[in-house]
Amino acid sequence: MNWVGLETLIKRELVRTFAIINQVIWPPVITTLLYIFVFGLALGSRIKQVQGVPYATFLIPGLIMLQVIDGTYGESSSSVFQGRFMQSIQELLIAPLSAVELVIGYVVSGILRAVFIAALITAIGIVLVHTVPLNWALYFGVITLVAILFSALGIIFGLMAEKFDHIATLTTFGITPLVFVGGVFTSIAFLPPLVQKISLFNPMFHMIDAFRYSYTGRGDVPLTLSLGVVAGLAVLALGIALALTARGYKLRT
Amino acid sequence: MSIPAIRIDGLVKRYGSFTAVDGISFEVADGAFFGLLGPNGAGKTTTINAMVGLSSVTAGSIALFGHDVVRDWRAARVTVGLAPQEYNFDRYLNIRDVLIYQAGYYGLRGPAVRRRADDLLERFGLTTKAKQTYTRLSGGMKRRLTLARALIHEPRLLILDEPTAGVDVELRIELWSFLRELNAAGTTIVLTTHYLEEAQELCNRIGIIETGKLIALESTSSLIGDRSLQDVFLELTRR
Repeated sequence: MNWVGLETLIKRELVRTFAIINQVIWPPVITTLLYIFVFGLALGSRIKQVQGVPYATFLIPGLIMLQVIDGTYGESSSSVFQGRFMQSIQELLIAPLSAVELVIGYVVSGILRAVFIAALITAIGIVLVHTVPLNWALYFGVITLVAILFSALGIIFGLMAEKFDHIATLTTFGITPLVFVGGVFTSIAFLPPLVQKISLFNPMFHMIDAFRYSYTGRGDVPLTLSLGVVAGLAVLALGIALALTARGYKLRT
Repeated sequence: MSIPAIRIDGLVKRYGSFTAVDGISFEVADGAFFGLLGPNGAGKTTTINAMVGLSSVTAGSIALFGHDVVRDWRAARVTVGLAPQEYNFDRYLNIRDVLIYQAGYYGLRGPAVRRRADDLLERFGLTTKAKQTYTRLSGGMKRRLTLARALIHEPRLLILDEPTAGVDVELRIELWSFLRELNAAGTTIVLTTHYLEEAQELCNRIGIIETGKLIALESTSSLIGDRSLQDVFLELTRR
């Protein structure tokens, strides 16, 4: 195992993140603030309670997941694609780094980025809404699983894309709609029975519901089910990212 | 007999039905200055890419200092530094960090690496630009940085793909002098270039590839005799 190489790749990814901080770190913070003001404080004051907690408390974990998912996928996919496009990824490909090390490097940096974004939004939640996670182990566990899943998806789409537009396809037609109907703003208990059943097939619902457990201690479905769905998808995506990287898919001729 | 720096045996590389490299075999001795020449599309870059791991091999084998590039890839890659023709630096790092991070990918870090990065920047006249990204360098500076990056992990084999493309005569002569010194110090060098006088000046052995086949492999002196390399090259590749 090339530990120094792996550590260097992780460091490089974080340097990239902070070099484009106005694209990666501040947008989720600003967007979250706006969501909290509009939905949490203004409209939310008219909603009594959801899942037995004040609406603003219910909202915060959903907003964290929203930004973690969006930020992790966006950064991972654009880093891989840009590396291919600018050919700078060749620095990694000619070095003594294995496919496993490359994938771990991108995924670990994705996890660190996700934790950083989550920490900022959590801090906003503490200051503005006075809400704190009840279960920190679950909080970090779910963020890690979700970050693994979306970093791996970012690698997959970063490898497959022929232009930046292709990367946006998953965000526009997959991630954004599924996250918004996945329980960021409402409990699925508010939805008609048929839509509730359909929601169970929405992976984003399980991510948000599992994460919300860490704040409220309750969810719409059993925690084991949500965690199982998220972990299963993370393993699947990681396996595909690893297989493509090991094959040198669109990396090596 | 010492292990050759490069041993290529029956290398074949196909892209679908197109054969880019068609069963070439040759060896480059440890310490040699080897020129790999050929017209555009002859298979030079494909051969180089196969050596450094940027391209898979359809058939045949490549070993660098006895390490097979597929089976023993990690040991093989440590031995080689590549200076590609295209500028593919990391745009988020300053040029000193480009060198330090590249060393990191090779498993190297610490004060010795930082010193070597500073030495290379000084050797190539880039010290004053150390904190800038490569996008702010001139073409000649970028070319020198390419070479510095390839050398940061002190490879035993240096592969140069058109190292003097687009640089002025003064810098070209300066680079020639540096490459001679490096070779004299024991580094094996493989050079691909379209400047045939450059290959004639620097290389002690030359291989010529055309349409994926090796059509000449000799010492420079026996290949050209009393003619110029350009005449010989044109005669061989126009057949």
